[in-house]
Amino acid sequence: MQHPLTLGLAQIDVRLGELEANVERHLEWIERAHGDGVELLLFPELSLTGYRLLHLTPRVAIDPATSPLVRRLAEAAGEMRVVVGAVEDDGAGVLYNSALVLYRGEVAFTHRKLYLPTYGIFQEERFFGAGRRLAKAAVDGDHFGLLICEDLWHPHLARGLALQGIRLLSVISASPGRIGSGERVESLDTWESLTRATALVNTCWVAYCNRVGWEEGSFYPGGSHIVWPGGEILASAPCFEEHLLVARLDLRESDRLRWRLPLVKDERDDIEGLP
Amino acid sequence: MIDRDAVPDRLRVNPALAELTLAGFIRDAVETTGTAGVVLGLSGGVDSAVSAGLAARALGPERVHAHLLPYRTSSPDSARDAAAVAEAFGLALRTLDITAMVDAYFEAHEPGAEKVRRGNLMARVRMAVLFDQAKALGSLVLGTSNKTEILLGYSTIFGDNASSINPLGDLYKCQVVEVARHLGVPQPVIDKKPSADLWPGQSDEDELGFSYDLADQILYLLFNRAHDPEEVIAMGYPEATVREIDRLERVFRFKRRLMLIARLSGSAINLDREIPRD
Repeated sequence: MQHPLTLGLAQIDVRLGELEANVERHLEWIERAHGDGVELLLFPELSLTGYRLLHLTPRVAIDPATSPLVRRLAEAAGEMRVVVGAVEDDGAGVLYNSALVLYRGEVAFTHRKLYLPTYGIFQEERFFGAGRRLAKAAVDGDHFGLLICEDLWHPHLARGLALQGIRLLSVISASPGRIGSGERVESLDTWESLTRATALVNTCWVAYCNRVGWEEGSFYPGGSHIVWPGGEILASAPCFEEHLLVARLDLRESDRLRWRLPLVKDERDDIEGLP
Repeated sequence: MIDRDAVPDRLRVNPALAELTLAGFIRDAVETTGTAGVVLGLSGGVDSAVSAGLAARALGPERVHAHLLPYRTSSPDSARDAAAVAEAFGLALRTLDITAMVDAYFEAHEPGAEKVRRGNLMARVRMAVLFDQAKALGSLVLGTSNKTEILLGYSTIFGDNASSINPLGDLYKCQVVEVARHLGVPQPVIDKKPSADLWPGQSDEDELGFSYDLADQILYLLFNRAHDPEEVIAMGYPEATVREIDRLERVFRFKRRLMLIARLSGSAINLDREIPRD
């Protein structure tokens, strides 16, 4: 990836359980992103399947290594790194909520969601296995961090990736909205607090891609955005509508900030009382 | 524990944002089901007025089929107010009198039935008529029950609580009123005393024994904020009302979970197999 990097966030709506229709939709957005010169394109969490699958989960599970649908998407990706959300079948009876990085016709990297929310309206542990590995997405000599939604609420993951050297953290999400007395969707304020704090304490870029649309009585407000390593929001997508947010990021901004704010370099693993 | 004075503020909802999201909810349901529009009953009250207004904003008034379903004892004020709501949102209002349907049953089989049974049948006949109209019009039945009445069980099961989709079920009564003001529901509809109008002179608040404002605050603390009744009483809310609302919420839970199936197989519908409806 070049400096600056052209990043695209595809804030789309998806149809619950309709894998093939969703693939077609992805292909349209990949084509648009190619037209905008995007080098790294993010789709939301479970973008190929929809979120609240419950007992439909196995029906839309795919083995990324052999799925013809994934191959079509990966071929369409070409030289662009494309992150899609999928139900991954490991072939041994466990399904994962995964993010796949597609590049040059292949699945170049897979992140399995590490923290599965099972509270409130969330039921992920009933249907998914939890991932066990945190690694930066290394693709053809470049690398970036990749987390899925709830993963960001456990800050040692972003810190771990920062310690692995990432300068950009990508977070794909299917986060339902809440409203209250304010003019904005309340849940987006919460997410922005989290992404901005994550960017600041890890002195890295953070890109957050959330979906839009209604599903099973919940709305997904979008509000995808990109945070500069110092914590300011660089660009935001509008709420409630599909949108391709494109921005050019100077990844070296992370390094420049780290030279004067060496929070990651100063991290310690020898403090009594910490695991 | 939150301060009692802060509760009304915590209960406020931004009405413009509520309109935007709930219009999206209605539009999405109609589009994903491939239906022509929505059917609803207009009672002349604020809840059905808000559902109608949201649907008109979501779909355009020509795809919203409003029905007035009076019984012979229904208040003329209800008909007048329903007409004002329909006019405010540009809706055609069709009147289908349910008197003959309701009276046929009681006259033939149950002449001594008391008023609550009669009221329940009126609510269920209205439901039956609306679902029939929905079939005829290729549309969904739009619900009008708010969170307060759902939690209190203040509804007729399979009657007024039945619908295909309900945009109001996560709004307390006071929040419905906020949205009503924003949408331009006629002022007399907002100001009048809430009534199911199942018999002359009926008033929701008289029948419940407390005001909706008080019920909203107590339900918010019990349900949204997970306080127990003792904590709510300690905040200064009247003990008898808190206990009664807590009791109603418990005893009428069955009305909120339609179709409870006896599980035998290990793959029971809605229990072992939760299949999304979208």
